Amino acid sequence: MRRMFIHGIGARARRVLAPAILAAGLAAAAPAWAVEPVDTPSLAPRVEAGALPPVAERLPDTPLVVDIAGRGGEIGEHGGSWNWLARRAKDIRIMNVYGYARLVGWTPDFELVPDILESIEVEDDRIFTLHLRPGHKWSDGAPFTTEDFRYEWFDVQLNEDLHPYGPDTRLLVDGERPEVTVVDEHTIRYEWSKPNPELLPALAGATPLYLYAPAHYLEQFHEDFADPEELGEIVEESGYQDWIAVHIVNSDLYDADNPDLPTLQPWVNTTDPPSERFVFARNPYFHRIDAEGRQLPYLDDAVVTIADSSLIPAKTGSGESDLQSRSLRFDNITFLKEGAERHGYDVRLWDTALGAEIALYPNLNAADPVWRELNRDVRFRRALSLAINRQEISDIIYFGLARPSNNTALPASPLHDPERSALYTGYDLDRANALLDEIGLTERNNEGLRLLPDGRPLEIIVQTAGERTVEIDVLQLIADSWKEIGVGLFPSPSSREVFRQRVYSGEAVMSVWYGRDNAIFTASTVPIELAPVDQAQLQYPAWGQWVQTNGEAGTPPDMPFGERLMALYTTWRTATSDEDRRAAIDEMLDIHAEEVDTIGVVEGVPQPVVVTNGLRNVPDKGVYSWDPGAHFGMYRPDTFWKE
Amino acid sequence: MLAYVARRLLIMIPTLLAISAISFAIIELPPGDYLSTMIAEQEARGEGVDQGRVAWLREQYGLDKSLVERYAMWLGGVVQGDFGYSFEYRMPVTEVVGDRLFLTILLTFATTLFIWVVSFPIAIYSATHQYSVGDYGLTFLGFLGLATPNFLLALVLLYFANVQFGTSIGGLMDPQYLDQPMSWAKFLSVLEHLWVPVIVIGTSGTAAMIRRLRANLLDELQKQYYVTALAKGLGPRKALLKYPLRMALNPFIADIGSILPQLISGATIVAVVLGLPTAGPLLLSALQSQDMYLAGSFVLWLAVLTVVGVLLSDLLLAVLDPRIRLGGGTAR
Repeated sequence: MRRMFIHGIGARARRVLAPAILAAGLAAAAPAWAVEPVDTPSLAPRVEAGALPPVAERLPDTPLVVDIAGRGGEIGEHGGSWNWLARRAKDIRIMNVYGYARLVGWTPDFELVPDILESIEVEDDRIFTLHLRPGHKWSDGAPFTTEDFRYEWFDVQLNEDLHPYGPDTRLLVDGERPEVTVVDEHTIRYEWSKPNPELLPALAGATPLYLYAPAHYLEQFHEDFADPEELGEIVEESGYQDWIAVHIVNSDLYDADNPDLPTLQPWVNTTDPPSERFVFARNPYFHRIDAEGRQLPYLDDAVVTIADSSLIPAKTGSGESDLQSRSLRFDNITFLKEGAERHGYDVRLWDTALGAEIALYPNLNAADPVWRELNRDVRFRRALSLAINRQEISDIIYFGLARPSNNTALPASPLHDPERSALYTGYDLDRANALLDEIGLTERNNEGLRLLPDGRPLEIIVQTAGERTVEIDVLQLIADSWKEIGVGLFPSPSSREVFRQRVYSGEAVMSVWYGRDNAIFTASTVPIELAPVDQAQLQYPAWGQWVQTNGEAGTPPDMPFGERLMALYTTWRTATSDEDRRAAIDEMLDIHAEEVDTIGVVEGVPQPVVVTNGLRNVPDKGVYSWDPGAHFGMYRPDTFWKE
Repeated sequence: MLAYVARRLLIMIPTLLAISAISFAIIELPPGDYLSTMIAEQEARGEGVDQGRVAWLREQYGLDKSLVERYAMWLGGVVQGDFGYSFEYRMPVTEVVGDRLFLTILLTFATTLFIWVVSFPIAIYSATHQYSVGDYGLTFLGFLGLATPNFLLALVLLYFANVQFGTSIGGLMDPQYLDQPMSWAKFLSVLEHLWVPVIVIGTSGTAAMIRRLRANLLDELQKQYYVTALAKGLGPRKALLKYPLRMALNPFIADIGSILPQLISGATIVAVVLGLPTAGPLLLSALQSQDMYLAGSFVLWLAVLTVVGVLLSDLLLAVLDPRIRLGGGTAR
């Protein structure tokens, strides 16, 4: 039996005794260096007025002590506010990504540590025992206990009205539901008969799996708990049809659109939508403190202003955002740098986790049989990859900052292999021509284009979602070099909707999109992007659909490498050691590099991050990754402070 | 007169029904629905969507029903004043639009005023000094305004206002006033931001207005009654303002019909570029994300405002210009 105890800094935190325990007669146990919690100046008036208990009573008995110095930061001061710009009112949910209070969370080194949880025990990857922090409270001051987990599982996930299609699929292992046992007020156990290696990454996700919900608040909307008469009035007033809709609308912990919903995040929304400006105030019950006892977050509030995405670079460039990355793109960098001095901010370039900034996806499920056959020929895909002048693209489009690479593990990943990244990426027209001749595409028309077996010219229409002009620029350069091997390329921009529809239906022969979303692979990365398990994978949408729908739609992975990928995916899911998982991912990466099923062009295109002068603890160089990482989240914005 | 108005009002009903049905169908034309748009967007950002939840939402939003059923449901609500539910904003359509209406009306009003104030004197001058240097010069300026792409002018002015006056970019007020109640400071902030869109949208409208008024006035100036008035010794200023100018005002009145629908859809591109919190960008995004009921309601209101606006300007014209007869065609 393998037993793992993720304890992180819990053990040390326990010695930072909160007065609540001291009062309980454990004073003798308190070491000499235990820090006294420090209250926030901006909350002092409310504490004095008796509207809020003092900080010692608001913190859990064992708060999470963030080792800011160990993270390369410095201890800060309370106060200030963080302004940033969002494209749409819906995007205020990103505050819950930036806040990044999760049961367990990723560190910048991509390790999982307990956060809201004091600790978690994992046995054989199938029994998960969660230990809460005693004394932990919701943002409204109500206790956060296993009752909140019990409510979420038994009264929400298993409720046939609220979840008519069953519990969240992330809680199922091959369709099997967990056995949930409430051990005591601070301990709860989730148990499956098979390993569930996806659970912890899901809990730490940017869009996390929530195992808990504020029961004390939501019970007023729940048929099984609320007084029927009062609930009737609430439903009547809300304008919704029934209690189900009211419960669902009011209970979304991720969307941050209900100011009354208690949360565990560092900042709590205080503005009712619709609005153009949302103010998130500090959560007085937040569970993290710094080494000197100051309750986090340092910044008193976060203000999200809604602005059109095309205006966000301009507004950021005139100093209207304190910390901004969303809606800023590589091509804004020169403009942003120009205004940096005048408006007092710094433009930092962070690495992204994208496997490739731009990647081509030959559709192995193309509807046209001739094209499908050709796309399925690995020699064809290799030839196309070899005929791309990646260095030239980097130099012309990305000021030489991008690195030629195929769509595989990034240098930041422990599974990075320089040879694998370079496979079939050298610019070698002779070899490409030879490969195409070998396939038998030797006939050419008077323009020098090769002819397909049925006599049509080899002109590839590449579908684009029409969102990034840079795609067209890159495709133009690729078209120039492909012409040398007798292959025509024409971009066809549309809208994202139509784009996906064309790929899924097989109408698209080839498409262009970003590379893998998260290419910082580790042994614990769920390899959903490495096996055909999702229709959204543009190179084999029908295979993904087949797996997703349990064979009801789509086609089974009918090429040897597709079958092998599925087998490895199962191996990963059922493996019980990190070595086995690592080996599975390694082999999948090898297969993708050899098969060139996606043609990565360049990687390492930086993401601009604008940081206003005087905002401290924002790393100079970070990894801008959605999952794992939650963009700024893993750098803990609650430790950012203003001079 | 009353019978005429009643008949016009009755004709509106089938017109509006036809418009709403057609627009509803057109909004439905692109593949997918609001939920598939949402899923595509979320997946592209790596945010997964639980398929069970999607199925539930589809049922809850009524997207699993046929187009005809949904149209009938929505229309039934509209008759009772319920315009349905915006998926994107997760609230009733009326609430979503409510906030933006005031600023939209303010902007349209200010722009119309700007156009009139600028084009009125220029047109009179151009007509009375036909083919003079001033006429050519002012006409040239007017056409320059018409020919400059709105969005370009908007960007230039935006940059200028920010660098010279430190005005925050985009929007109709400084961000700190967004969630504040109306105050003097907020009003000033609105004024500070309002001039950019007013000039941008206004410049494109003035040229057309100048040309129309000038042409009408020129026609009138050649008529006998004007010549007679001058011959009888009426002062040139009085002769001009009292008779031909009043006749030439028809285009201003006729314009009322097109101002009303502009309340919603006017100058959408400029509003998008400038990030104005008006109704136009809302309609655009509703159409893009297939937020059915929001978009449908918008189009319906547009149609209502258009037909009402046209009726209003018809009636006003008849009142102001006795030469115009209502219902002339049917009486014959």
